[in-house]
Formats: sequence, structure tokens, C-alpha cells
Amino acid sequence: MNALPDRYASDERVLRQPGDGRMLAQRLTKRYAARITGAFVVPGREGSFAPLPDDLPPALAQALRSRGIEQLYSHQAQAWAATQSGAHVAIVTPTASGKSLCYTLPVITAAMTQHAKALYLFPTKALAQDQVAELLELNQAGALGVRAFTFDGDTPGDARQAIRLHGDIVVSNPDMLHQAILPHHTKWAQFFENLRYVVIDEVHTYRGVFGSHVANVIRRLKRVCAFYGVTPQFILCSATIGNPKEHAEALIEDAVTAITESGAPTGDKHVLLWNPPVVNPDLGLRASARSQTHRIARLAIKSGMKTLVFAQSRTMVEVLTKYLKDVFDSDPRKPARIRAYRGGYLPKERRAAEREMRAGTIDGIVSTSALELGVDIGSLDVVVLNGYPGSVAATWQRFGRAGRRQQSALGVLVASSDPLDQYLVRHPEFFHGATPEHARIQPDQPLILLDHIRCAAFELPFIGDAMFGTEVATPWLDVLGEEGVLHREGNRWEWIADSYPAIAVSLRSVADGNFVVVDRTHGRQTIIAEVDYTAAPVTLYEGAIHMIQSVPYQVERLDWEGRKAYVTRTHVDYYTDAIDYTKLKVLDCFDTSHAGCGEAHHGEVHVVRRVPGYKKIRFYSHENIGYGPVNLPDQELHTTAVWWQLPQVVLEAAFEERQQALDGFLGAAYALHIVATVAVMAEARDLQKSVGSGDGAWFVSADATGRGQIRGSDGQPATLAADVPFTPTVYLYDAFPGGIGQSEPLFHRHEDLVAQSVTLIERCDCRAGCPACVGPVLAADEEAATTPKALALRVLALLVAL
Amino acid sequence: MRQLRTQSGQSPPPEVIAAKATLSSEVLRLIQGRSRIQGVAQRTQPTDRVVPGVEIAPGLFLTEALMEWGCPTPLIDTAFARWQEPVAHRRLLHFDTETTGLAGGTGTRAWMIGAADWQADGRFRVRQLTTTTMGGEAAMLRTFATWLQPDTVLVSYNGKCYDSPLLKTRYRLARLPDPLSGLRHLDLLHPVRRRWKGVWENCRLATVERELLGVVREDDLPGSEAPAAWLNYLRGGSAVNLRRVLAHNRQDLKSLAGVLLHLARLPP
Repeated sequence: MNALPDRYASDERVLRQPGDGRMLAQRLTKRYAARITGAFVVPGREGSFAPLPDDLPPALAQALRSRGIEQLYSHQAQAWAATQSGAHVAIVTPTASGKSLCYTLPVITAAMTQHAKALYLFPTKALAQDQVAELLELNQAGALGVRAFTFDGDTPGDARQAIRLHGDIVVSNPDMLHQAILPHHTKWAQFFENLRYVVIDEVHTYRGVFGSHVANVIRRLKRVCAFYGVTPQFILCSATIGNPKEHAEALIEDAVTAITESGAPTGDKHVLLWNPPVVNPDLGLRASARSQTHRIARLAIKSGMKTLVFAQSRTMVEVLTKYLKDVFDSDPRKPARIRAYRGGYLPKERRAAEREMRAGTIDGIVSTSALELGVDIGSLDVVVLNGYPGSVAATWQRFGRAGRRQQSALGVLVASSDPLDQYLVRHPEFFHGATPEHARIQPDQPLILLDHIRCAAFELPFIGDAMFGTEVATPWLDVLGEEGVLHREGNRWEWIADSYPAIAVSLRSVADGNFVVVDRTHGRQTIIAEVDYTAAPVTLYEGAIHMIQSVPYQVERLDWEGRKAYVTRTHVDYYTDAIDYTKLKVLDCFDTSHAGCGEAHHGEVHVVRRVPGYKKIRFYSHENIGYGPVNLPDQELHTTAVWWQLPQVVLEAAFEERQQALDGFLGAAYALHIVATVAVMAEARDLQKSVGSGDGAWFVSADATGRGQIRGSDGQPATLAADVPFTPTVYLYDAFPGGIGQSEPLFHRHEDLVAQSVTLIERCDCRAGCPACVGPVLAADEEAATTPKALALRVLALLVAL
Repeated sequence: MRQLRTQSGQSPPPEVIAAKATLSSEVLRLIQGRSRIQGVAQRTQPTDRVVPGVEIAPGLFLTEALMEWGCPTPLIDTAFARWQEPVAHRRLLHFDTETTGLAGGTGTRAWMIGAADWQADGRFRVRQLTTTTMGGEAAMLRTFATWLQPDTVLVSYNGKCYDSPLLKTRYRLARLPDPLSGLRHLDLLHPVRRRWKGVWENCRLATVERELLGVVREDDLPGSEAPAAWLNYLRGGSAVNLRRVLAHNRQDLKSLAGVLLHLARLPP
């Protein structure tokens, strides 16, 4: 540790005086020119302002002035005008552009002048609490008499009655609306009778399966509102996505007025794409993204800039936090300058981190995507992304965290060795010119729809040929009648079962229970963290080093059934990294159809995720200092899939070697996945792809060189003997237990999907392959005689109907 | 769909089927994996469908019985419930509902309301409203409302937490004014718990009536089977268990009044 000051001596050459984003960008560019593959500036904007509207209640205008708000941004004024005209409104402006005032003004005005109520929905409890704190401050500033409360799972029972009766603004989340408010709507009768506004923030998070559920919860909300004779106005807010207006309209199934021009002033935003330097030219190995991220963050913090680092995993958050703490927090007598922020911390720890960031006492914060949403942490100067977040929209949302008025900010994307990252830094125009992804939902997905018609029938009877969303409910009610939960009398369908259907329906499709981490150091029994079910197998195995605010704890015992991990404080110079892989096996084939020279199938599959062991990695040197075994049950998923296969003889005739066929299948899988995701309007994460053998004996993953590598059922690289059957298979499967009904429509469109994939690849402007068609390809492949693109096309051509 | 219907022996009117949309076979197959279709049995030959009482509205039966029970004093001492003033016995209305379950929320309904009071001549009157269709609910709620006066004092066992909120929900859903709010309510569960919690195995009404009144029920249908008894009848089944629920409910009301008088006579 004594060597540290010398180690960073070169920093001084970069840092001569404190600076802003522009200066730091210039210094980094000068010093590390070879690493910067792309640099551009998103120009700042002068603010566009409007006076406080004349029709604001004087007390509210006074409260705003006393909080220093003398005028509005133009988009806030537009939102005011639109809401006053009675329209549903969607506001799509960047982070920190004063979005919340867009809904606060009409909501508080209506509460003050008409005793009207408002319901706010945020995707997380943290955001809801932020919002209530903000409302209370404004309320106090003007003694407005408006009462705002959060209503979530933490709200004590005795407070709930008061909130139902006296809350002017109830701030909750879609899950609570679904499970607690709507099924008890009669208790909320006064609230609903006076409900004027429904505010839904962060609507870009309501996409895919989650979004489809939320759209149905909104249908139920509108149905209950109709019972109480009200038609509330919706005000929706979104971060930048490709289709904000369309998405808002899909969620509330009504026309919305979209406000997309922000009037908030911003400084210039400098963006650098950064590729770690080649450290081993023979092997083409680059330095790690982590080392570069650490360096950039260190320089930024030393220049006096508030810096936020996004890491892709919780482990990486802790590693980077430790490195930065080693530099900046070496003196334990001084308050910490660096903090970690991620899911899995207890709420009060996260609140403390948020408070300290807002207060400006923290200089650097390292986070997972948890901070991507609008958690209020004040203004930042620099955002460093340790790896590409996976979508253009998420990248801009993260960069959006940096930027103060009138002052330039810096965003740096540090590429990892992942082929997609490497593609992006080689093709900055892909990133710079790309429109953000579209958010898609499919509220009429049959299983989701049936779940919500079930919940809706519990809330209010269905009468006659009532519609639910865009569907006539009757045939669905017949099914529920057969099931015995509804009883039909004349033209009324009423709930008859002794059950509470909303409890059985999880909007987020994860209901397996969180793990708690229990610290047993020195005989203590303290819960120090929570870990969600999916992350537990890769972070809480016995032997794992589990870091919390970069303090290492070792997992001594994992009680899988009891959902507890027992840890003790430890002092080691390494961290652990789980090895995990996924394989797939066909259980039952429901249907088969010819597909060119091969066949397409639809059926049930068994997906296994296994963690066979972990690596111990030394801090700083990052050498692998050992392996440990992990003994955990496989994570299994029964789901439905569609898959394509080609007979061995056809493959042998078409390809000179098996490797080419495997590469072709990987490329074909990539293209089919893109096309299929669009076809069923799914989120990419809800539909997964895989390439393996039909019998689960082996599977294929891309290795570090981008080549398809066969791995055996133990996850180790393997080679197939020449006499072993060779039947590579492309799978697309629902990433949810029991399937979410995407694979059957895909099967029925299998010819169309293959044809569209061919078109997608053929029309792509790239030569060898890219993330827009067969997946990112390595530089070496761009000049290859037989490109990955050509191989994928060859596989798909064999699957095209004759 | 059609096939399912045939299996379950249900045959809806053909014009209804023609008029409405149907689900595609693909969707049906998909949701049948998820939906717990039980193929609700419909009885073809209902045996015993006799519901006691007079049908005072379509789907609503009223029974009324007068009996000697309790011999109350004109004023009932309510100090056991920490009330300041005694209550005239003629103001008391004991009530108890039978419901479709304990799940709570807007999907649980009361299909029967029993209420009992002392007449001017000291006799105990037990009235029970039983619905035989779901459509009979509105008439039941309206009739029950006429039994309540502004000075009525409700007497129940756990009614503050269960029966009363449930009925309020039903009045709200039926768009009828809620006659319960504003009435005083003596919920005997709480004073019983204060006095005997930890003394008896539990404080359920069945235990309390045995310990305090020496009531031993014969051929009693447990309250937990009341939802099934009604559901079975509603789907065309026998009324035998429905009548047993009526008897059970009548005994509950008598025990309620008995426990009240016992509590009122206890030394402070």
C-alpha cells in the first residue's frame, strides 16, 4: 500500500488544475489518444423559459418562488397547458430536467382548488420516497395543506386507513396497486371518487412482460374508476426511448399529447469511447475495462469532479469501490469520499448514500443499474461506464446522470472485451447515430390477459359483453367459469371462489424469495444485506467473498432452503468470480414442420443454469490464484421453445468443417432472435436464444475469439469425435417458468422468421457481420474470406422453405 | 371450448354462443396449461332444493322464529365493554353473516345475514335472510338496512373486523347507502379475549358458548363448510347443507345473546 502514491504519480501530468468536463476530455484525449476511438460532443442548450402561469393558485406560485423557482422551463409550461386542456400527457425529457414539476403543478393545483386526489406510480419504493420528500418540502414552503403519503409494503397497518381517507396524493407502485389497492377498492371509495390524476413516472421501465402486466393493471384501474364515475387524466414521464408517445399510448390505451422538447439548460456533454490498450500484441489481449475505468474515475475525482461509475455486476461494483477507496479513503479518521450503491443493500444504507450524494460530501459513487432510474442524487460531472450497458437507451440514461446547468459534463464508455463492446468502439457511428430502442409491450398475451381478467372479475363483476382492454371478455370468463372461480347468472359473471387472485400473480415474475446475508462475526447475528433469488447462486455460494461497501465477508454456510447465507468478516487479498453456464434439453415436442432441408419444432424444454465452481482472483494483479467447487442445486426452468435443426448429411454437404456450421448457427441464432423479438413484441430479455445439440449433450457459446466453442454438459470446452452425431440446433425460448406463450406464435411464423432473418442479414450494410445482423464480429473476421455473415446466411438458406 | 362444455354437462343457450367471440384453439391450449380448470360438476337431477322461509324477493328467502331466550333486563350493563352507559335491550341487534370465504377483498360476499333481537314482550326473534341466487343480494342488503334504526346497537362476534367491513363493501358494490356506519357496535370478541385469553384453549365462539353457556351442538356444520354448502346449492346441488348452515347461524345468534347477558352480569 505504501507504493500507492508513486503508482499514481503520472496522474499529475494530466491534472494541473481542477476542471470541467470539457477540460478533462481534452486532457484525456491528449494523454491517451490511442485509447480513444470516438469522441463527440452533444452540444448544450440555452434554457427556454416561460413565466409562471397566471392560473396557478397564488399560494402555490408563492411556494415555488420561495424555493427559488421564478419561472418555468418551456416543457413544464407546455405540460401545464396540456393538462389544463384535459389531455393525457407524456413528458419525455432527459434526467434532471425538472420533470416532476410537470405533474406536481396540476396535481397540487387540483388538490388545493377542488380537493381532487392523485395517484402516483413509481417502479421502486426509493423513487416514491424521494417524490414524497419533494412534495412535503414544497407543501411546507407554501403551507399549501396538501397531504402526500407513500403507500407500499412498508406502510404500517394503522397508517393505511388514514392514508385512504386523507391522502391527497398517494405515492405507490404498480405492484401495490395490483395486489393491495384494486382488490380492496371499496375501502378506497372516497379516494377513487375524487381521483383526478394518475401519474406514472419512468414508463420506459414498463416494457416486456412487466410492462404487459402493468398495462393490464391500468385497464383494471380504469375499470374501477369507471365504477366510481371518474375518468382520471394520465400524466406519464419517460426517459429517452425510441417510441415514447406510442409506448405511453400502448400503456394507457388512449391518445396522449407528447412533450419531447426539454427547456432545461444543459452544458455541453462530451462523450468518449475508450478502448483499453493492447497489452499483449501476440495474443491481441487488451487491458481490462476495470483498470481503465478505475484510472478515469481516479483522474476525475482528483480534478474535483463528482463522479459516478456504472459497473455491470455487483461484484464489479465492490471491486471498483475498493480500488477507489484505497486511493481516496485510506485515512479512516476522515469521512468517506467513495461509496457503493447497488441492489442488495438494505434500504437505509441506500438512503444514506443518496443523502450524502445530494449533500455533496461524496466524491465518487460506484453503482449498478440501480441508479439508472431517477433516484435523486444531485448533480454530477462525470459518468464512467465500465462496459456497454446493452442498449443505446440505457447508455444515454446513464450518461444523463452527468450534467449541471451551464457546465460541461463528461461521459466515458469503456469497452470490455465482449464482442459487442468491441464492435461498438470500432464503430462509434453505430452508437452516435442510433435511435434508442423501442419499448414494447403485449398486454393481450393470453396468459397475462387471463391473469388480469381473473383479478378484474374479483374486483367488479363483468356484465354483458363487456370489454377488457381491446378484447371482449366473454370467452375468457367462460374459461374462468369452467375453472370454478366465476359464477354466471343471467348476463353477470361474479367471483365466487374463496381466493384472492392478485396474490398469485406477480407483475415482475420473480417470486422465489430473497436471500438474507447474516453476519456471524464475533458471535453476532446481524442481517447486513439482501440478495435476490437469481443473483444468489452466483454471489452467495460457500467460499464466496461477498463484499459490502468493499468490506469483504466470506460465505461460510448457505442455507438454500431457508434463504440465508452466513458470513464472517475476513481479510483476504482476492475476490471470487462464479463460473456459470446454461444448457437446454428438449422434453416434449408438441409440433413439427418442414423448414427447407430441415425441420422446425415447438415444444417444452428444460433449461439448466449451473454454477460448477468459482475462481479466486487476486486484487490488482488479477491473477487467477485458484478454483473452488460449488455445490448448489441447478437452477432449472421448464419452459416452451421453438427450435430449428438441419440433418447431419445436409450440413456435411454445405460446410467444409463443423466449426463453420457452428459459427453459422450462432450467427443465425442472433438474427432469428432479433427478428423474433420484434415479431412477438417481446423484450430481448424475455426471449432467449441458445445453440446446442438436440439432446442436451453439448452446447455452443462464443469464445474469446468469437468462434463457436462446443462445451460438454460439465461446461468445459469439448470436441466432438467424428462419429458422434452432429445436430446443431437453434433454440428461442421463453425466459419464464412455464413459458409466457411466445414460442407457439413463433412456431406458426417460423417460415416468416427465417425469411425475415435472411432479409435482415442481406440488407445489412456491414461486410462481415455486426450487432445489427449476425452479432458483433472481431476485427480479424472483417477481412476473412468466409465471413460469419456468409456462414449464417448459408444456415438460414438451408432452412428456407423450398 | 365446446368439448369442455359437453364434458361438464353444461349447455348454455345456443344464441349466446353464436353472439360472442370465442378463443382460438391455440389460445385455449396455451391457457389450459395455466388455468386450473376443474370442470365444475353440474348436477342434472337436483334432489332436495328446499330452502326454508318465504321468498320475499326473487332469490331471497326470509325465515323468522320467536323463542324464549335469555330473559334480559330492560337495561343491559355494558361496563364489561368499557362503555359508560347501559343499553336498552330493545336497541340491540345481534348479527352474523355467512360468506363465500375468508379471502377478503371485493371478491368475498355474504350470502346470508342472520339477525336477532328481543321483542317488547321479552321474546327473542331470529330473522335470517338467505340468498339463493347472486341476484338476490341487493334485496337482502335493502331488507337488512330496514332492520337498522339510527339508535340500533350492533352485537357481533368479531364483526368489527369481519362482518361489518364485508357488508360495507357489499353495500358499496351494490351502490346502496351503507346503513352500518355510525351505528354503535358491541363486538364481544374483545371483552371475551381480555377476560379469558390464556385461560381457555382459544376464544372462538364455539369454545365460549361451551364454557359459559354449556351449549353442546349436535350435527353442527362447521362454519368453514358454509361457503361450500352455498356454492353447491348455487350450482344446482342439494339444499341439505344449506339448511344446516341456517341452523348453525341461528345457534350462533343465540349464543351471541347468551354470552352478552353473561358478560353483562359478571361482577366488574
